[in-house]
Parts: sequence; structure tokens; C-alpha cells
Amino acid sequence: MQRYLVKRIFQMLIVVFLALTAVFFMQFLAGDPVILLLPMDATFEEIAEMRERLGFDDSIFVQYFRFVSRALQGDFGPSLRHPQTAIQLVLSRVPATLELALIAVVVSLLVAIPIGVISAAFRGSWFDQVAIVVTVFGQAVPGFWLGIMLILFFSVTLEWLPTGGRGELNNLILPIITLTAFYAARFARMTRSTVLDVLNTDYIRTARAKGLSERRVLYKHALRNASISIITLLGLQLGQLLGGAVVTETVFYWPGLGRLLVQSLLNRDFPVVFTGVFFIALVHATLNLAVDLFYLVVDPRISYD
Amino acid sequence: MKRFWIVLSMLLLIISLLTVSTVAANEVIIGSPADARTLFAMKFIDLATHDPISNIYDPLITRDRETMEYIGHLAKGWEVLDDLTWEFYLNEGIKFHNGAPFNAEAVKFTIDYINDPDNEMAYRGRYSPIHTVEIMDEYTVRFHTTEPMPILLDRLTSCYILEPGYVTEFGETHASLNPIGTGPYKFVEWVQNQEIVMERFEDYWMGTPEVERVIFRPIPEFSTRVAALLVGEIHVIRDVPGHMVARVDSGRRTEVRGIPSSRVNYIALVNFQEGPMQSKEVRQALNYAVNVQELIDFVLDGSATQMAGPLSVINPDHDPSLEPYPYDPEKAVQMIRDAGYEPTQLSFTLDSPDGRYPQDREVAMAIADQLREIGINVSVRVNEWGTHLDRIINRNTGEMFLLGWGPAFNAQGTIESLMVTDRTYSGFGLSWLDEMVAKAVGLVDPDEMREAWDEIQQLVYDEAPWIFLWQQHDLWGVNSDLDWTPRADERVLGFEMRWND
Repeated sequence: MQRYLVKRIFQMLIVVFLALTAVFFMQFLAGDPVILLLPMDATFEEIAEMRERLGFDDSIFVQYFRFVSRALQGDFGPSLRHPQTAIQLVLSRVPATLELALIAVVVSLLVAIPIGVISAAFRGSWFDQVAIVVTVFGQAVPGFWLGIMLILFFSVTLEWLPTGGRGELNNLILPIITLTAFYAARFARMTRSTVLDVLNTDYIRTARAKGLSERRVLYKHALRNASISIITLLGLQLGQLLGGAVVTETVFYWPGLGRLLVQSLLNRDFPVVFTGVFFIALVHATLNLAVDLFYLVVDPRISYD
Repeated sequence: MKRFWIVLSMLLLIISLLTVSTVAANEVIIGSPADARTLFAMKFIDLATHDPISNIYDPLITRDRETMEYIGHLAKGWEVLDDLTWEFYLNEGIKFHNGAPFNAEAVKFTIDYINDPDNEMAYRGRYSPIHTVEIMDEYTVRFHTTEPMPILLDRLTSCYILEPGYVTEFGETHASLNPIGTGPYKFVEWVQNQEIVMERFEDYWMGTPEVERVIFRPIPEFSTRVAALLVGEIHVIRDVPGHMVARVDSGRRTEVRGIPSSRVNYIALVNFQEGPMQSKEVRQALNYAVNVQELIDFVLDGSATQMAGPLSVINPDHDPSLEPYPYDPEKAVQMIRDAGYEPTQLSFTLDSPDGRYPQDREVAMAIADQLREIGINVSVRVNEWGTHLDRIINRNTGEMFLLGWGPAFNAQGTIESLMVTDRTYSGFGLSWLDEMVAKAVGLVDPDEMREAWDEIQQLVYDEAPWIFLWQQHDLWGVNSDLDWTPRADERVLGFEMRWND
């Protein structure tokens, strides 16, 4: 087990390093950051001077080795546009992103699992058919459109909820509905199909033959065995959300990591982009590892020895 | 059933508790498309950064809101001693927010700070001709320049004065996040990407502002910004697009207030490469072939004023003798033939940004269509903003590109920056024009300046380095109860606002 862990952590570091390297070389496709830092009446000399001062006139390999040596010390440098360092900026957005992501995932699971289980248990019923339509709609509808529609209805027409922002409980409602519409739909469909698979297995027939109640069969036996797939999906979706729900954050001006990354990319604030990518890659890799370890808890047949 | 009603009642109770509160407060919330980059004056100036800064700090000079002529602000007057020396007389008794006095030392400190390369101020180039600021007495400073600098007054309208003691003691990073100025509003709090809060400075030298608190709230998505305005969460937004004007105007508590801006939009006709764009007749013909008024009426819903020459009519240096090119496609075809081409032989690429200026992409498409009507093949290439600038700087745009420029209140700032061969964002160059501009920018005498720039404008009009499009109209979405008239220089100052009773 210990050996497995060491191996996985080593793999994680390689993944993070490769992601950073890929993003570093891709920055050169984005264009020159200096022209967005100077006013439009700046001369060529002023542009060249700033490029030199920021080290953008060095060869790509010199820049890369400088970047790697600083990154290894945890230093991604100052933001090109803001007074803070890139790490300070990224960390300042993590609480907002965590808040939105965790609540969205918990609400999605609370909504999705009962829907998925009931749909599977009563396959073909009116509930199942309505659930299929709703979940397909939830996955198909663009978050951007849904967010704007929710604002128009709940904020502009009814004036019940704020259009966006962060700070109070009611700021969370519309973004969470927007995210839940998509993620709950996905979880519900996954739950339904895996529970359906499990319900056709021999041990479920045995459980029923033993006279267990249908509720106990569903939640104790079927759902537990179906949970491996749900946990896998949960890990992927949580990683995606922790990387920032860009569209939702933009529509509801939620000050999260996704919005910061998109703005930084458009503004060519590369130190912030690198730091954000580093954080996201690390979160994804850690969640993957956590999901693999969680399998051990759920399914005693799995072993990493 | 009983349980259902209990649950429903609880839900309604929760919703009523969460419902948007509309507590009346003497504050104005301004929705902006982006957060400020910094609150340190003169470090970077884009609109999102400039708006809060211009409420916290004061400049030496400002512009009369009606005539846009220079008027004193922190400086009560000035005198040109000779071509290289300017003297400024400062108002007395002004205090910074921390109680420190405003005086000649603050002016000298600010200019020296901007011009110190180690401080990496983005606007250093604009002030670099000032080589010394000499303190004559506590309220008199003398600027010595290395070359005649008639544009100095324009530069000083956006030169915000720093508090020397504060910046020296706490450093730039701290001052960027906790600014101190002499302006009408004191900084309170900056929650990045959520809001910048400031409260009125009771000891403001021009009188206590009416509005107690001014808040800048970044809302990147335009539809959300309009929704927030409609429901009264915010009170002012800039750049309402034409298609949303009716919606905002019909709002229960909102309206659109428009004002002709000094910002101009144009199509550069790039003459750096061999080809038809080097022909004056072809460039003039393109001006005759584009129906600018039709574009204003149908693409911009009337929110622009056609330009005659490179400067807007509210630019004090504008030559009023110029008339817009009339729409005359037959004449355009004839001129192209006279230049030795057939319209159908001409094929151009028109680069356009997307979303930077009002309906920019749609404007580019419509211009391409109008030129196709006389047989010229124009393909439009839409660029992300940074890429668009990259193309212009690296001189690899198509034969035409769309750009806007402003605030533009003097001839030098526009013509020198956009029509001189070696300037960064120029799309045009003629050696004799470069020489004429170089001479004009060295003139300090107002009459000589006027004469020189009038002559240049007439020659530029004739050379047609652009398709002269229009002067933008700024469309502000404003809460109907707010007493505030937008300014032509795009500034949004809480000091000029008050709530109607």
C-alpha cells in the first residue's frame, strides 16, 4: 500500500509538471503580454524596454529554465497586472470556488441519487420517463442561457433574488440552481444506469429471495455496489468544479478561480495562468488519488497491495 | 396534506427572508465590466482602473465639462515662460485623506516617481520629456522639459497626485491596495472582483460631496449588468449597446443618457505595402464608397456622429472647415479606374476586433458589404483584442483595420499616434507628413499650433489614410432618480452626482 501511494504521488507530480510545461509553451501562441500592459500611445522603444525588463526578450529555453527553477521553489512571480503575487491572487479565489463547488456537488447528489434510484426501481414508470426528460434537459441546456433566464425571472421579474455577487446566502441560490441543473442530471443518469445493472445481478435476486424489503435491497445492497461509478464521476466533477465553473462565475459575477483564469488568459497575465493551472492540476491529481483510495472503503474486494 | 402546507409556508418564509432588500442609502453603485488593476495612480490606466482612481485622487488640471477647455484643478493657474518652461500655481489649503498637506513637493514627487524607470509606471513615456520639476515655493512649481511640450496640459489632466510621505513610508504595493489621494472620496475597502468601496471626504477642498458612498462593482457579463441596473442593485453602467437601449429606457427605474464622446472610430487604410492602398485616389474612393450615415442609422441606431477628417467635432483642435466625404459610389468607381484599377480587381482583408467598440464586428461586415456593391472583394477577419493589437503592431493586418481612439482632445494625440510611419499603432506613413507633424508637435504658441494642425488636418483629409467613420456616442444606463449628466471625457465622478429627493 505504501509503495502504491509513493508511486501514485510520484505520478501526480509528473502530471502537474507536464501540465505546467504544456501551458508554458502554449503561452507563446497567445501573443505578447507587454502590449496589453502599456497605453496605446506607447512607442516601440517603450515596448521593447518593458519586454526586456520582464524577461520576455530572452529565448524560449532561457525563459523555460527560469520558469522551472522558480516554480520548483514555489515562486510563480508577481502578477503582470495586479499588485499581488500570482499565488496570492489564486489563493484569494479558492474560498469562493470551494464554497460554490462543494455546495453544488452536495446539492446535486442530494437531488440526483434519489431520482436515479427511484427511476431504476420503477423503470418505465411515469416518474422514470419524467426524470429522463428532465435530466436530458438539464444536461443539454447551456449554463449560460439557464443562468440568464434565472436572473430574468427571479431577479428582474419577481425581484426575489440578487442578480449575482457573493457574500450572503441568497447570492448562492441562482448559481447553485444553474450548476445543479447540469451536475444533478449527470449524477442521476449515472445512478439510474448503474443501479439498473446491479438490480439484474444474482445477489440482488438472493437478497429479495431472503425476504428483504425493497427499500433495503435498493439502498443497502444495490446503491452501495453502484456507488463505485458514482464516486468516480464525483471525483471528476468535483475536480472540474474546483477548477472554476467559468460560465456560472461569469454570469453571476462570482469571484472564483475560473473567472480569474479566463480574465488572466485574455489579459495574458501568464504568471497567474501558470499558478491557476498548477492548482487545478494538483487538485485533479489529488482527487483522482482520493477516489482510488475511497474504492477500498466501499468495496472490500479491491486491494492495492 | 398538512405536511405539504407546513413545508410550503416554510419555503415562502425562507424566500421572503432572502428576498432582495432595497434599503435606501445615499450611495451610488457603478457597475463596471472589469475590476481595477490597481488603485495606485499612474501605474496602469484603463477605464476600469481609471474610474475609481479618478474619485480618490485629483489631477493638476482638468477640463470644463461643457467646453472641454483646460481649467485649473489642484493647480489654479499656469504660465508658459518659454518653449521649455512652464510654471504652475497651486491651490492652497488642500489636504490628502491622511491629513498631509498638498503642496509643490507632492507635485515634484509624483512626476519624479513616474519618470523613475525602476518604478515601472506604464505612463512614463507620456511624461519623460519633463526632465525637472523645480520647487519655486510651497505652492509654485516650474516644469522644465527637454523639448517643447504643448501636450503637457493634456497630460496633466490625467496626472493624479500622490502623497509623498505615505508612498515613501509604506511603499507602492501597500499604497496600491490602500490608496491615499486628495480626491472627493476616501478609500474604504477593496474586495477584489467584488467591489471597491469609498466614502466621501468631508474635508474635500471643493466642498463635501453629496453622495456618501461610491461603490464600483465589476460585473463582466453585460446581460447581468443590465439586469442589475434594471432591478436597482446598481445605478450606473457605461456602454449600453444599441439593441438594449429600448429595454433600459423602458425600465421602471432606469433610463439611457447619451453624450457625444471624443472617441473616434475609423478604418485604417494601410499603405505600408506595395499595392493599391498606396494610391491616394483609391483611398479617397473608399471614403466615397462607404455610406457612413447609413451605418450610423442602421447598425448603431443613430448613436454616432459622422466625422469630417480625423478629429471629432468636440476635439478643440478640430478644423470646422472640413465636411464629411459624401456617399457617391459612382464617383468611387471612376476614381478607382482613374488610378489604374478595376474595382473587381481589388481584394482586401479588413481586420476587426470583436466587442471592443460599439457593434464593431457588425460595422466591419456592413462596410465589406457596401464595398462589395461596387465590386471590391473584402473579407473580414475578426480578432480577439490582443491578437488585433499584435497584428497592428507587427504590421501584419490586412489592407484595412478597424480601430477606435480616445479620449481624444488634441490633434497631436491622434494624428501623431496614428498617422506617423514609426508609431506603434499607425497604419499609415508618408515622409512629408511625418516631417510636418514633427514640426507641429514642437510648437507652443497657440496661434501657430492652430495654424499648423489645421493645415495638417486638411492634408490628411485629402490623403484619406482612413475611412473616416464617426465620433462615438457614449450611452450610459442610469437610475432615473440619480441626478447626473455624463461627460464627454468618459469620466464618472461621484462628486458630480446626487440623488433626487
